[in-house]
Amino acid sequence: MAQTQPQAAGVNGTSSNGNRPDQGGFKLKFCTVCASNQNRSMESHLRLAAANYPVISFGTGSLVRLPGPSISQPNVYQFNKTSYDSMYKELEAKDPRLYRANGLLNMLERNRGVKWGPERWQDWQVGVPRLEHTSDRGSEGVEGGVVDVVITCEERCWDAVIDDLLNRGSPLNRPVHVINVDIKDNHEEALIGGKGILDLADSLNKAAAEERALNPAGFDSGNAASRSGFDERVPEIIGEWQERWPNLPAVWTLAWF
Amino acid sequence: MAAPPSSVEEQIKQLGDARKLVLSDPTYYTPIIQGILPIVAPGARVELRRWAADFFAETFASPTIPASQKETLSLIVLETLRGLIENPSEDAAVVKSAVQTAASAYPLVFRYIINNPHDTLTWERMLAIKSRIFRIWDSAAPGVRICCVKFAQRVVLVQTKGPDADPRRGDPLEVSLSMVPPDHKLIPPKSLEAEASGLLDRMLAVFQENISDAVLVDATLNSLSILIRARPHIANKILNVILNFNPLKQANSPMTPKIRVMVKSMEKTTRALLVHILKRDPQNPLGPRIQQYVERMMRSRADIFDDASRKRGPPEPTDGLDHAKRQKLGAQVTNAAPKFYVPPLKPGPHTIAELFTVTGDEALKAFDVAMLSEDLVVKIGITILQRIDAETLNQAIDGIRQRYKSLGPSQPELLNPETAPLGVDEDDDDYEPDFSTAETEEQILNKLDLISPDVEKVTATDMALGHFTLPQPPPLTTSQATEVGQGTVSRVFGVMQTLEEKIKKTKGGINRLAASSFDRDAWITILTRLATRTFTGLDGTEEEVKAEPSESEQQSLANMIRESLFLYILEDFRKRIDIAIAWLCEEWYNDQVQVKVNETAVLHYEKWVLKIMDGMIPYLDASDRNVLVRFVSEIPGLSPGVLERLKGLCKNPATVTIALTSLLFLTMQKPPAKKMVLGVVEEIWDTYEDARPFALKLFAKYIPGLGDRGKSQDEEKKSNGMEAIAA
Repeated sequence: MAQTQPQAAGVNGTSSNGNRPDQGGFKLKFCTVCASNQNRSMESHLRLAAANYPVISFGTGSLVRLPGPSISQPNVYQFNKTSYDSMYKELEAKDPRLYRANGLLNMLERNRGVKWGPERWQDWQVGVPRLEHTSDRGSEGVEGGVVDVVITCEERCWDAVIDDLLNRGSPLNRPVHVINVDIKDNHEEALIGGKGILDLADSLNKAAAEERALNPAGFDSGNAASRSGFDERVPEIIGEWQERWPNLPAVWTLAWF
Repeated sequence: MAAPPSSVEEQIKQLGDARKLVLSDPTYYTPIIQGILPIVAPGARVELRRWAADFFAETFASPTIPASQKETLSLIVLETLRGLIENPSEDAAVVKSAVQTAASAYPLVFRYIINNPHDTLTWERMLAIKSRIFRIWDSAAPGVRICCVKFAQRVVLVQTKGPDADPRRGDPLEVSLSMVPPDHKLIPPKSLEAEASGLLDRMLAVFQENISDAVLVDATLNSLSILIRARPHIANKILNVILNFNPLKQANSPMTPKIRVMVKSMEKTTRALLVHILKRDPQNPLGPRIQQYVERMMRSRADIFDDASRKRGPPEPTDGLDHAKRQKLGAQVTNAAPKFYVPPLKPGPHTIAELFTVTGDEALKAFDVAMLSEDLVVKIGITILQRIDAETLNQAIDGIRQRYKSLGPSQPELLNPETAPLGVDEDDDDYEPDFSTAETEEQILNKLDLISPDVEKVTATDMALGHFTLPQPPPLTTSQATEVGQGTVSRVFGVMQTLEEKIKKTKGGINRLAASSFDRDAWITILTRLATRTFTGLDGTEEEVKAEPSESEQQSLANMIRESLFLYILEDFRKRIDIAIAWLCEEWYNDQVQVKVNETAVLHYEKWVLKIMDGMIPYLDASDRNVLVRFVSEIPGLSPGVLERLKGLCKNPATVTIALTSLLFLTMQKPPAKKMVLGVVEEIWDTYEDARPFALKLFAKYIPGLGDRGKSQDEEKKSNGMEAIAA
């Protein structure tokens, strides 16, 4: 659930990151995941997309839950069926003052500029082409429906993602790094978390691009330890990143699609 | 492709267009794959070879292409794939994709060979690829090695006996040795099974080796779930190896950030796999061991990582003769009495052993040297004498000498604390054993008693106050009383919340609150009883007076406490479910008592049970099984309303499982409610079609004929279910 804080009301994610020019070259494909595919995953989705990474995003909850007038009256929506735009319109009609003050309308405004609506991780058919998503931010490069790195924003979501991948039985034989970056669910923390995730993505992509550029004489000539590829450098990269972002505790594993 | 050779960028762009075409329409795969084959020739540019290898991997993994089409495609690419994998100077990224492709193609080719036992050529190609992958498994870069592990996992899955499946059907996850006729010429099942067993051992070796490479360990762990699930006869072997694996092995040395990430990752991944297995198969005979392992891992992980974040390294042992302390003492020894070293004996009789014991370590004191052989004692003695610092030895001897003297005629003088100076140096205090500190305090008090009895008596009489009565406070109005009452309630909640904070901290080592009874639980009991019972007695008296308005005032105060409790629970219902249950038990009990006194009493239990459930339900998801089962099984009374809520949970596909599990639990554990619960299950069956498979699994033995129930109504119910979802 996207807990919102009144003091974060003025924060608007839509224009906080300048779109940086595309350097071209090799790009890892990312996927960001939080509980409701609203706040944390969408903030980092936008950030990664603005940095020209192919990116998609999901939520692992059973339903999309947004704060309502009281703790026992949340606004609940179905995944994959309700667009950010319709949620925006509904909440605006219900109580524009409340939902503006708690930042929900700003958040939905940002989200509807990124993609159509919240998607549920467990319903994602990995490997099925995503050609109908061309208007989504960051959709270029993920047409094949697979990614290289999944970044979750809460340990519960990481657990849900891993459990789901184990459930699927790894039919695609494709390795995927699944990294949790623990971010508190409010607008302010989501902004900080988004920066942290972009830094992580840059570090990972740098290593992956270096591996592709190496092009050694042969993969089993000489000993393997002399060259380090992307996969084995990931723990080191995360370790270094963690030193830079000590307040965003990270967990990582190498899983399979 | 058929396009004439142009710049690499241009070619890749054309290839990208071709890929988009097949992504939107899989029927074009065959011509496009055939067109791509020439560009992966050994002489082609590495960019093109990488593109093509990635494309192969994607194609054979794609869930949109029917298995029969993939089978045909696999025969087309097999020779090219072999070329890529066997080329010793091939680019690592290309090989990585090629191995992934091989892993996806293996079950396809295997099934083709089952049906075409005479195609030796194809099988030989596949065998060449397989043996090449197993050769590079140990020597290639980790990125390639993990894909070799995955390939091996696929081979094991295919070459072990699985549940019977139709060999003509598609799912490559279902291809197994059970489909192979026993007399198959190319693929004799016996030898394939032996090969699979060897491969599995080789995969599992990563858990037994000393080098722990997290990338390999994680990759292996995350590939095992399907083997454990779909191949029960090898599941025990796999689980036993994992249960003997210690992912925290590397954690005792000082950890670099990288090792920290790796250790955490291996621990978390191991636990995730085991929890997954336990969740899928709660009846697993290894269940208790898995549970134990998971709990142990969580504890050790908390110790290692929480400790490390608080303070580096474990605390020093508190042995009095510990090396570090000895050094510190050594500096003081030059001008301090040797008594520092050897604590004086307590008063009373002593054994000779006690006289000569200089260590404070209880474990060491209990050790009987006589158990050692004489030779060994002599050896140890000589080594110690050779190494020991002469000064230290002298001090120890002096200490013992002092003790010995104290046992003689001067004993009472030294050991009678009455005469010992009270103003002890701080330094002395540090090395005073506990028992003597206690005695000293007591003695100080004794001394004070002796000195000051007179003075005390005098002041007591002088200071005595005259008789004083507080004036009566002005009477409170009802609204003031309510207001004050509300203030009190919110204050009690405030206290409770701070207590909760502290309880969390006690895990960090400060264990002060656990000892007193003013902990959170105590306050919760007080609150729940305040809410439920405060007015019970009063109601009885007021009934006779018929003071209606005042009763409603009081009720509203009680209800206010209830409202606060309700909100408090909902704020974090997963952690506070115990509070909810405690409270509801109180409500239920109070209702029962009330009904005895007065038949028409207002009952609260049912109302609040439903309110709590309604509050929780929107937030429940599949992982909340324990919370829900605990709630419905521990509340003291079940009503149709509660069951109606559980039924409602079946609307949402994510909560069907937990709703039905809790109903099953009620069926098994609450015999009086069984009939009612099974009735609800039948209603669920009729209403929610999606819940049927799971309901059948759980309740088939309780409701005979459940599977055949209401088949004719399917169509209309379908639309019902859809409407119910749109909430």
